[in-house]
Amino acid sequence: MRFVLPKGRLLKGSLEVLRKAGYDVQKPGKRRLIERFNGNEVLVARAFDVPVYVEHGVDLGISGSDVVEERKSDVFVPLELPFGKCRLSLAMPRERVVSPEEMDGYRVATKYERITREYFSRLGVDVEILKLSGSVELAPKVGIADAIVDIVETGETLRANGLVEVEKVMDVSAQLLVNRISQKTKFEEINELVFSIKEVIKDGF
Amino acid sequence: MRRSIEDYLRLAEIGNRLRGVFELWGYREVTFPAIEEYSPEIRKGTKLAYDNRFHLINPDPTSRIMRAFSDESIRLFYITEVLNGSTRGEWQAGIEMIGFPEGSLVEPIVVAITALEALGVDEFYIDIGSLEVWRRATEEIKEFRDVVFSALIKRNFEPIDRLPIPEEKKEELWRLFNFRGRKSGFEKLDLLLEIVDDERVFIDLGTVRPLPYYTDIIFEIYSPKVGKPIGGGGEYSVGEKPAAGFYLDMVALSRLYTGKTRGRTRLSSKDPVSAYREAKRLVKLGIPVEVER
Repeated sequence: MRFVLPKGRLLKGSLEVLRKAGYDVQKPGKRRLIERFNGNEVLVARAFDVPVYVEHGVDLGISGSDVVEERKSDVFVPLELPFGKCRLSLAMPRERVVSPEEMDGYRVATKYERITREYFSRLGVDVEILKLSGSVELAPKVGIADAIVDIVETGETLRANGLVEVEKVMDVSAQLLVNRISQKTKFEEINELVFSIKEVIKDGF
Repeated sequence: MRRSIEDYLRLAEIGNRLRGVFELWGYREVTFPAIEEYSPEIRKGTKLAYDNRFHLINPDPTSRIMRAFSDESIRLFYITEVLNGSTRGEWQAGIEMIGFPEGSLVEPIVVAITALEALGVDEFYIDIGSLEVWRRATEEIKEFRDVVFSALIKRNFEPIDRLPIPEEKKEELWRLFNFRGRKSGFEKLDLLLEIVDDERVFIDLGTVRPLPYYTDIIFEIYSPKVGKPIGGGGEYSVGEKPAAGFYLDMVALSRLYTGKTRGRTRLSSKDPVSAYREAKRLVKLGIPVEVER
C-alpha cells in the first residue's frame, strides 16, 4: 500500500499511530520524499496536499480535518485520530474586536479561503478574503487585513501578535483518509489497518 | 495538466468508439448548444451574464435531457464537455433511458460493459449499491437517517456507533456497511447481478456513494489502474417516469484506452482516379481505407 503523511505538526503522531497499529513506517531520510518498507511505500507531502494525493490514487493518508474540509477532496474518512487537536478560529487585533455579524466589508486574511467564505456566508456577512500561504497573523499587524481565520493550538502565537480569538470556526483533529478506489480494490488490507488503528485508539493512544 | 492536441485527438477517438457502441444498442445522440439560459433545474455549468440575463455554459447533460424529454420514452446518448463553475471541464459520454419499466438498469450496465470493452478496457469493476436497502434498514430510526447517510459518504462508522439505537441495529448496519459480494439477499440486486452475468460486477453496499437524485440502484465503474471512478450511474425519475443512465469520464478512460485500430486497406495514389474509385467502393462496404500520398 502507499501512504502519504503530512510534513509538520502531524508527522510524529502519524508515524506513532501507524507503528502501534503494526505498520513499521519509517520517515523518509533527509532529502528523500519516498521510503519503502515491507512492500509498502511512504510519501511525505505538504499537509495541505495530503487529501489531493489520496483523492488521486495514493491508498491512505493522514491529514487534519481542516485541510480535508478546505480541499473538499472526494476521499473516505473512516477514522478521527486522537492527535493534532486544535481549532480553526476567527481572531482580531485586541483593540478592534467586533462580533462576526458586524464584519460586513471587513478584510479577512487566511489560508482557508473556502471554509472562511462558507462561514461568513452562513452568517450572511459579506467579507473580502485575502488568501495567504502562511504567517497569517502578520496581516492585521501590518494593516493589510482586519482579522484572520487560522489554526489556534495554545493561543500563544495570537497573543504574541496582539490578536484575540473571537469565535471558533471548527474543531480540528487528525483524520485517516482512504482513496475511494483503494477501499474497493484493497478491501481486506485497508479494513485490517482501520481496525488495528481503532484498537490502538481504544487502548488509549 | 495542460492537454495537448494529441490528448484531444485521443478524446475524439474515444468519443467515436463510444458513439459506435451506443448506436448499436439503439441510442440516439443528442447535441445541445454550449450556452443555455439559466434555470434552477439545470445542474452544473459555468455562469455567464450576457445581455442582462444569466446563462450557463456547458451544464450537466442529464438534467438538460430530463427537462427536454419529460414526455417521451426514449434512449439517448451524449458526448460533451461539462463545466462546473470554472473554465475547465470534464469530458463525459453517457446514456439515458427514459420511460422504460422500473428495473431496467440491466441495460445501462450491459451497455457500459460493452462500451469499455470496445475501448480495449477489460480490467474494470462495477460496484452496485442500493439506496432502498439503506432506507429500509433505517426505517425504525428515521430520525438518524441523515447521520447514517453522512457516515456512508465518509465511510466512517463511528457516528453510527455513537447513536442511541439498539446494538442489534448497529450490527445490522455494520454488516451492510461492509457487504461486498455477489449474493446480498436483496432480491432486486441479486436478480440484477444474475441477468448482467459478468464477473466484474459486484454488490457493494458500503462504498457506493449515495447521491441525492438517484431513486434506488446506483453504480460506480472503476479500474485498479486509475485512482478515481471512471464512471457511474443509476436509477432516477423524470416526473413520474422511471429512468436510468450512466456517464463515463473520458479523460480517465484515455489513461486506459489502448487505441487499437481496425486494419485499414491501403491504396496507392499513383493512379488517383482508380484509387479513389476503389476507396469509395470499400467505404460503402464499411471497410476502413487510407489512400497513400
